[in-house]
Amino acid sequence: MKIEIDDKDLKHGILGLVLAVVEVIRDTLRIQSIKRMDGGSLTEEETERLGKALMELDKAIDKLKEEQGVSEAVRSVRDGLDDLVDGMVRRLANPRELTHEEPS
Amino acid sequence: MTEKGFYLYCLAQGNQEESLDLKGIGGTPVKAVVHHGWIAVVQECGSKPFESTDQKVLADWLLIHQGVVDVALEKYETIIPFGFDAIIVPTPGKSAEDNLKEWLDKEAEGLKTKLLRLKGKAEFGVQVLWNPTMILPRLKEQDPEMQNLEKEILSKPEGVAYLLQKKLEELMHARLEKAADAYFKIFYKQIRECVEEVRVEKARKEKPPRQMILNLSCLQTKGETVALGVVLEKIGQIPGFDVRFTGPWPPYSFVNG
Repeated sequence: MKIEIDDKDLKHGILGLVLAVVEVIRDTLRIQSIKRMDGGSLTEEETERLGKALMELDKAIDKLKEEQGVSEAVRSVRDGLDDLVDGMVRRLANPRELTHEEPS
Repeated sequence: MTEKGFYLYCLAQGNQEESLDLKGIGGTPVKAVVHHGWIAVVQECGSKPFESTDQKVLADWLLIHQGVVDVALEKYETIIPFGFDAIIVPTPGKSAEDNLKEWLDKEAEGLKTKLLRLKGKAEFGVQVLWNPTMILPRLKEQDPEMQNLEKEILSKPEGVAYLLQKKLEELMHARLEKAADAYFKIFYKQIRECVEEVRVEKARKEKPPRQMILNLSCLQTKGETVALGVVLEKIGQIPGFDVRFTGPWPPYSFVNG
């Protein structure tokens, strides 16, 4: 898949963001698949097909990141998301932080 | 004409008004202002805090700030350091110096208590890092679930093996988190017993594969860090663990009790 945008920064930004979201969705699919596998609601054949599909998805994401040189950008978006969620969870657990706006 | 403000470096006790033969931020000379037995180490500045979007400029300013505070610590032995960018401004009818002196009078009791608490003490930074790739094998040895999963992966077709591999990775991650938590509690207790006060700081990101699992600021009497040193050495000797021990610093983190 070729993406041609003049501004390198813009490409990195948008593609990094998109791939970060794709990775998060992929992670969710993984967790769900493992749950189904463990829960016994899948046949061995279904599990095999699911596993192979996720493997291919992994390969496609990695290939795209490498070809477009956005591995760093994706990492950076995901780290940012982690920090954001961390901060929110902390504030929800400590309501006083909501009113005092302590720096994280 | 904008009246000058005072940029505050630290407070100490004494009676000697003098220039400190030192340049502060922007090359402005640093001086000691005396009032009722208090010394404020200051420099003149504008009426607004120093601001810059340039990281390098900010870093340089911080270094200068720390440099001045270090010199003051040498000179006055016990100080109450201010964090970066604390300034006192003039208000209608009063100069910054007037406001500083008024503030010192108002806060004198509280400041005296703080100073007493910090007298002869310094701040030390303690960080413990570990290398999960070295810890994991030891965890696996005692974990039948991980061992069974590994065996299963070898005997299954590609797709199933992939899912099992991901399951194993999640498991390893969970076990490592649990171990890190346990180690933190043990190390914290050992360190707490050797120092007067401890503040838990946020763990910083490290260069993979190492991770920081403990980051503490400790307040301890200068020259009485032998017990702490012994504890930290023992921790550093555990395979897979490294310790970073820094200080003595002026007690920035402990000024506010």
